[in-house]
Amino acid sequence: MEFLGQDRREGLGRRAHSRFNLILLMLVSVLLLLSSLYSAQASVFKKAREGVMDAASPVLMLFAGPINAVNNMAGSIGDYFNVMEQNRALRAENAELRQWMAEALELRETVASFEALEGYRAPPGAQPITAFVIGEANDAFARSMIVNAGRSSNIEVGQAVVDNHGLVGRIVEAGGSASRVLLLTDIQSRVPVYVEGADVEGILVGNTRSMPAISFTARAEEAETAPGQRVLTSGAGGALPRGLPVGIVSGERKGEIIVNLYANYSRTRMVRVINYAFPEIDAGGESASAESEAEASAEAPAEG
Amino acid sequence: MGYRAENLLRLMRAITPTLLGVFGVILLAAPVRLFEGLAPTPIIPLVIVFFWTVYGPDLMPSVSVFLIGLLQDLLTGGPLGLWPAVYLATQFIVLSQRAYFLGREQKVVWIGFALASLGAGLILWLVMSLMSGALLPVGALALQLIATVLIYPVFAIVFGELHRRVLVEA
Repeated sequence: MEFLGQDRREGLGRRAHSRFNLILLMLVSVLLLLSSLYSAQASVFKKAREGVMDAASPVLMLFAGPINAVNNMAGSIGDYFNVMEQNRALRAENAELRQWMAEALELRETVASFEALEGYRAPPGAQPITAFVIGEANDAFARSMIVNAGRSSNIEVGQAVVDNHGLVGRIVEAGGSASRVLLLTDIQSRVPVYVEGADVEGILVGNTRSMPAISFTARAEEAETAPGQRVLTSGAGGALPRGLPVGIVSGERKGEIIVNLYANYSRTRMVRVINYAFPEIDAGGESASAESEAEASAEAPAEG
Repeated sequence: MGYRAENLLRLMRAITPTLLGVFGVILLAAPVRLFEGLAPTPIIPLVIVFFWTVYGPDLMPSVSVFLIGLLQDLLTGGPLGLWPAVYLATQFIVLSQRAYFLGREQKVVWIGFALASLGAGLILWLVMSLMSGALLPVGALALQLIATVLIYPVFAIVFGELHRRVLVEA
């Protein structure tokens, strides 16, 4: 049996590998690392990231086709084996949803009658932008996805991204035709949330685990949370709209609430980017801001 | 064969490992969700950097390693300079042990690759922990490195054939 490189001349080539270049480039990398630590938002880096993302998006889309086909095939084979079980689960879910539908219809009527009253101002609506996931950071520490819509579809940095289960993350880079979504599990992710019915407002902090934790900013006394309570975005800080479903409380560890996300990142294919504009306070209108504040405070108990 | 055609062929051979590295990075950025995301995507560029640093350092110059890493940083949204540092450190370590690897059985080289990935993972974890100011969980990284080490022999056979038949011999 012959082994690669047994003939030592084979790999050694004509000139020795330049150690000098290697060490120089290592220094450059370390300098880059240090500089991106202190100026992550520097325009040069930002431009480079956006440019590469835009350039890579057609290639990634090319890849996405066959990958999806294979995944769908594998998925349908799996479905074939547990079709009975799924059927049973769906029946149970359908029965439950019918009850909810009845309740929702009733509530819709009640809300409509309240809205008909004088002095109600509807909050600004959002036009979601639909996009497909074409890339994903398959990295142990960076958790993000690339979607195939960018500034040309009015996507801006900071907008919320949801799929049909709940919040996925938010836009951190917007290129011309592609943008990057920072997932809730990334170590850089910070999203203001509240726990429904528990009077707990906090910030959901990603830690690369599949279940991020809420660290508290405000807690009225010893509010108890129970597993199963819903976690929603609080809209604090004016970054994301209020009331987007995030997940359910799964338990508590070291004073932090662990959240089981609604989003299932291994199945996220189509997302909606919510271009929600917060109502602006007009220069002359003190009353407008007072009203919106009153609205916000009235909203909390209503949802709780 | 004409002089020009021969030159072109030589160029093609010279850039093949770099192109494979770029391809590996794109694969890392594509939404490949093996087994519903349970199996992590192996870090193929690490295999490529390791393999050609051992068997043909001329085909994997440090500039290529740097560019492959930089592309990975730009595509995965991590801090710039992270992956170039990891890959270049791997190359540095492997170059210093190269004389030992040459002409050894693939099993031995495989163990060498496992150790090199361990080193790369350690650097990655240390840098990310320093940057985020907390000791990060290592579970996901360990799984990804294990996947990479497990898949190494397959790539070693394919790259070995490519290297022997196309890049060096032809």
